[in-house]
Amino acid sequence: MLPYINKMLNNSWLELSVRWFLGIIFLYASYYKIVSPAHFAKIIYGYYLFPDIFINIIAIVLPFLELFSGLALIFGIYPRSAAIIINGMLLGFIIALSINLIREQQFDCGCFSFGEGGHTYTVGQLLVRDIIFFVLGLQVLLFDNYRRWCLRQSGNILRNIPS
Amino acid sequence: MPIKEIAKELLVLLSISLFAAFTVNFFSPRGIALLGDWDTSKGVISAKSKENVVVHELEIENVVAAKQIYDSGSAVFVDARAEEFFDKGHIKGAVSMPVDLYDAYIDKFKAAYPLSVYIVTYCSGRECDDSHQLAQNFFAEGYTNISVFIDGYPGWQEAGYPLE
Repeated sequence: MLPYINKMLNNSWLELSVRWFLGIIFLYASYYKIVSPAHFAKIIYGYYLFPDIFINIIAIVLPFLELFSGLALIFGIYPRSAAIIINGMLLGFIIALSINLIREQQFDCGCFSFGEGGHTYTVGQLLVRDIIFFVLGLQVLLFDNYRRWCLRQSGNILRNIPS
Repeated sequence: MPIKEIAKELLVLLSISLFAAFTVNFFSPRGIALLGDWDTSKGVISAKSKENVVVHELEIENVVAAKQIYDSGSAVFVDARAEEFFDKGHIKGAVSMPVDLYDAYIDKFKAAYPLSVYIVTYCSGRECDDSHQLAQNFFAEGYTNISVFIDGYPGWQEAGYPLE
C-alpha cells in the first residue's frame, strides 16, 4: 500500500497539476488585493490581530508574494521555494482564521474578492479550504522526481535535482 | 536538506516580490502610505491611500458635540449607509443618501436643500469611511458647509439619542 501511495505522490503529472492549480489560485487571489490595496489593508485591520505599524506593509507586500509565488509555480522557477512561501502564507492564514474562529470574531477574510468572508463561506469552510491547499503545497514541496515543464528545476525540500 | 540552495532561491523570489510590491505601490494611483491611520481614538481609520477621502478636520469628535449641533436645528443629518440599514433605524429626521447610490439620490437632495445648508454626514462608526466619501461628494457638488459625525449610528444609539 505504502509503495503505491509513494508512487502516486511522485507521479510527475500529478505534481504538474497540483503546481498549476495552486499557481492559478494564488494568481487569482493576488488580483483584487493588488487592484485595491486600501481595501485590503482595511480587511487586514478587520482581523484585529496585527499591530497598526504592520497593516499597510502587509497589504503592500502580501499580494505580490502571492503573485510571484503563483507565477513561479506555474513556470516552474524554483518550485520548492515557491511552495515554501505559499505554505508559509497558508500557515499564517490558517492561524489567523483559527484565532478568529476561537474568538468568534466576525470579519471579512478577503481571500479572493472582498466581501466574500462571512457571506458565502463560514470560517470553518475557509479553514478546510486552506488546509487542503496546504496539503497540496506539501506534495509540491516533497515531490521526489523530475518535474515536468520547469524552467528552474532545483529539486525538493530534501535534495537537489539539477535542471 | 539543501539549506544553502533553498535560502538562495527564497532570497531571489522574496527580493523580486518586495521590489515589485513597493515599486508598484509607489507609482500606482491607488497606492497606500507605508503607515496608515488605524487608531479609532483619533478618528475614522484609513490606509491613507492616494484616493483617501478621510479628512480629520471635518470630524465631529464625539457624540455630545454632534447632539449639540442636532439640537440647534442648524444642520441636516445625512445617512450614508445602505437603504436596508437606514430602514432598520436611523437618527431621527436624517435623510438617506446611500453612498453607492449617490448619483440616483443627489438630484432630489439638491432640490430640497440649498448649497448653503449645513450638512452632517454619518455612517456606522469610526471603522466606516462612507460618511467621509459622502462629504467629498457633497463638496464636489458645491456644498461648502459639511461635517462628519464619526461615531455614526452606533454611537448615537448607544447614547440613547432620538432614533426612528
